[in-house]
Amino acid sequence: MKDRLADAVKRARSDYAEIRVEHTWSSSVVFRGRRLEAATASEDQGGFVRVLSRGYGWGIASFTSLDQLPAMLRRADELSRAVPLDEPIRLADVAPTQADAVLDLGGDVRGVSLAEKKRLLEAYNGEMLSVSERVVDTQASYHDEVTEYWYANSEGTLIYQLRPEVVVSGTATARRDGVIEKGLESVGLRSGWQRVQDLGGRFRGAAERAVALLDAPRVRGGTYPVILDPELAGVFIHEAFGHLSEADFVYENPQAREMMTLGRRFGRPILNVGDHGAAPGLRGTLPFDDEGVPTQDTPLIREGILVGRLHSRETAARLGERPTGNARALSFRHPPLVRMTNTYIGNGEGSFDDLIRDIPLGVYACGAFGGQTLLENFSFTAAYGRMIRDGRLAELVKDVVLAGNLFQTLDRIDRIAGDFRWNQMGGGCGKGGQFPLPVTEGAPHVRIEEALIGGDVPA
Amino acid sequence: MIETVLARLSRRAQAGDVLFRRVEQTGVSFEAGRLKAAGASEETGVNLRVVRDGRIGVAGTTALAPENLDTLVARALASAELGEPLALDFPPPLPLPDVPTHAPGAEAAPLDRLVGIGRELVERLAREGCQVNVSVGRSVGETAVGNTAGAAAAYHFTGVSVGAEVTRIGGDDVLMVYDSWSGTDLPTAADLDALWSSVAARLDLALRVVEPPEGALPVVFTPAGLAAILLPLEQALSGKAVLQGISPLARRVGEAVFDRRFSLADDPLVPGRPDSRPVDDEGVPSRRVTLVEAGVVRGFVYDLETAARAGTRSTGHGHRGVFGKPGVGYTNLIVGEEAAGQREPGQAPRLGGGLLEGMDEGLVVDDLIGVGQGNVIGGAFSQPVGLAYRVQRGEITGRVKDAAVSGNVYELLRRIGGFGTDGRWQGSRWAPSLLLEGVSVARR
Repeated sequence: MKDRLADAVKRARSDYAEIRVEHTWSSSVVFRGRRLEAATASEDQGGFVRVLSRGYGWGIASFTSLDQLPAMLRRADELSRAVPLDEPIRLADVAPTQADAVLDLGGDVRGVSLAEKKRLLEAYNGEMLSVSERVVDTQASYHDEVTEYWYANSEGTLIYQLRPEVVVSGTATARRDGVIEKGLESVGLRSGWQRVQDLGGRFRGAAERAVALLDAPRVRGGTYPVILDPELAGVFIHEAFGHLSEADFVYENPQAREMMTLGRRFGRPILNVGDHGAAPGLRGTLPFDDEGVPTQDTPLIREGILVGRLHSRETAARLGERPTGNARALSFRHPPLVRMTNTYIGNGEGSFDDLIRDIPLGVYACGAFGGQTLLENFSFTAAYGRMIRDGRLAELVKDVVLAGNLFQTLDRIDRIAGDFRWNQMGGGCGKGGQFPLPVTEGAPHVRIEEALIGGDVPA
Repeated sequence: MIETVLARLSRRAQAGDVLFRRVEQTGVSFEAGRLKAAGASEETGVNLRVVRDGRIGVAGTTALAPENLDTLVARALASAELGEPLALDFPPPLPLPDVPTHAPGAEAAPLDRLVGIGRELVERLAREGCQVNVSVGRSVGETAVGNTAGAAAAYHFTGVSVGAEVTRIGGDDVLMVYDSWSGTDLPTAADLDALWSSVAARLDLALRVVEPPEGALPVVFTPAGLAAILLPLEQALSGKAVLQGISPLARRVGEAVFDRRFSLADDPLVPGRPDSRPVDDEGVPSRRVTLVEAGVVRGFVYDLETAARAGTRSTGHGHRGVFGKPGVGYTNLIVGEEAAGQREPGQAPRLGGGLLEGMDEGLVVDDLIGVGQGNVIGGAFSQPVGLAYRVQRGEITGRVKDAAVSGNVYELLRRIGGFGTDGRWQGSRWAPSLLLEGVSVARR
């Protein structure tokens, strides 16, 4: 396959050509309540071609029939030539690379029968159902993949990867009369079968939380000192800040560039943020991105100051900066876009107790049901919360929705603990119709001195 | 292809059905006003479901070389070994309704035509300090379904979509206005005109930022803003939610739950819509299904498997991709009577749908942040606004930021203040603006 691809890009008529080919074996098991919804195995294969010629824009073709490679290169070339450009698209220089990257499969899922995968998930689903009579519905899913991946471009880069992925997720729904509550658990890893054993306790915990929330009061809406647990802090930094640091948001827009000027202060000196596509053992990690650029640790905010952004070769050339290895595509069906990998808030100092000690009344917001940002505005729903009273954790509360403005909120982060951890969950990031791209977030406990919490607002 | 796969089932399974789909897509994208890329994709795949020993199995593949088909069948049979027992009857051959899904003009349109559509929009939307992104896409394909009960149906389809997005950044204020058009054929001059004026009008009215109001207020939800209001109903009216015992509407068929003027139907037979189809992805003929009629709950949508478990019949709402098993889904969701919210021909729709007159203090909501988070099916929602306008003395006075709206859709839809004259397709949903009273508006 490598020779075929290298030969094809060499013979392409365009000035620049690249090809990705993927072959993916996957299997899925889904339970709903006590019933198995499906246990399936699938095979997916296809290729992606992208070309560029002087004076023209991108020509792109994707296909599922691999015997058509040369025809697809010609098609992409024709498409490119239908896009005349007065200002040429330039790609930042990258040294050509030849590499074979066989990732640790963590127990090759292709060697495990569908029946064993079903038994594993049935056990986790059973843990949730057995917690209480009040657990009235569950959803549990297992998904694994192994992908063979080839990448070649006309500059001489030639890469082969064998890479795994595995995700196990569960939702427990608890009900008492008209009150319905949910508990979520999700583990997503760039690994395999060995790493998803012995998770029963975590699924049980999700169902126990759902049941406990039935009796919890809604948080009283208002402005509080708020502590985000590492999971919610990670989701927050990805959604609220990370997307703005993707250079395709700013590279064609002078006003956006001004808003995101390097050197602008975003937070206090304790705040450090970055994106680390090469961090060992994480779900968002790969040795190269989908332009064949090596991944790296890219600082975005250092001591409160904006110092960097995430790039593809095109955005890097346009802004006169260096590529960061963040051009990622969901699959051969899609072109690479500037995307995050493993995004983090850097570690601080002290313990969780140090963060809450001097708070007379506050909210500890934990886990994430979801979050959405519309650029500078965001809304996050925590999975659950605890009130903080007189420097100590107090009662469980629910419906903790955190809403705010990014710039104000980052600036109000006044304490960061020294208990950093990565959160490897399933799901993923969505952008430009490409979802779910595997990413990870990491953070320690983070304190916001003042934030708006939605909920029952006293009249 | 379908017959080839079904032939390989003989003696190894009691029954089965197959979906075949081939799609070719062509698209162009303009970024910051410049034509930047042109793309094409083609994809062919097969989804196979088998019944062996009374158990269901599913498998899918895009590797369609003849030697791979035995692997596909073997995987489906392995899936069936683990499957739940279910008496699933595949539909026999039945007459199909006539619905146009293929526009020869769209299939034949050269790339230049797509570029021309995009360029016209880009030029008309251009303005100082704004970034304009436009995409134009066209898909052409074929869906075929067949089963061991003898049903065999196939149809060709085309789809065209045009999306336009304007971003304006001033200091730390980010304003984004988006709209799109879709159909089976190329857009007419009037279609493009409506798309342009929809984006331009919402942008112009948003340039001025005003303080949000507060309290229990009348709120107009535009056809786009209605997503938050309709999502709980879409979930509750799925046969799957009824089967799982989590639909609040499950035991309320025949009951007047909503305003007498409120109707909801799913109609796969609307001419010119990309989601229309003569047959569903499981071989069941398409038909219009009334979900809510004059405020009264009438029924739910089902696919074959959910219907079999619930002891009812499929309504022809099976949706199926190449991978995974079929599921229940809507086609074209229609709010109110299609004729009712229609405006006079040639008249540009106004933001607010003509519902602002006499509104002393209120809001027009076009987009909310975080729709779909949390416990949707219960009907309660609480969301910050993405794009919303303040109404004072019957006029839009500007855009509001830093405000949130909340309420319960089952309470709000009990009494609807008015239906707008701006009914339109928003993706696969047809709706006019709705005026809802007593929506809680909070500012921060």
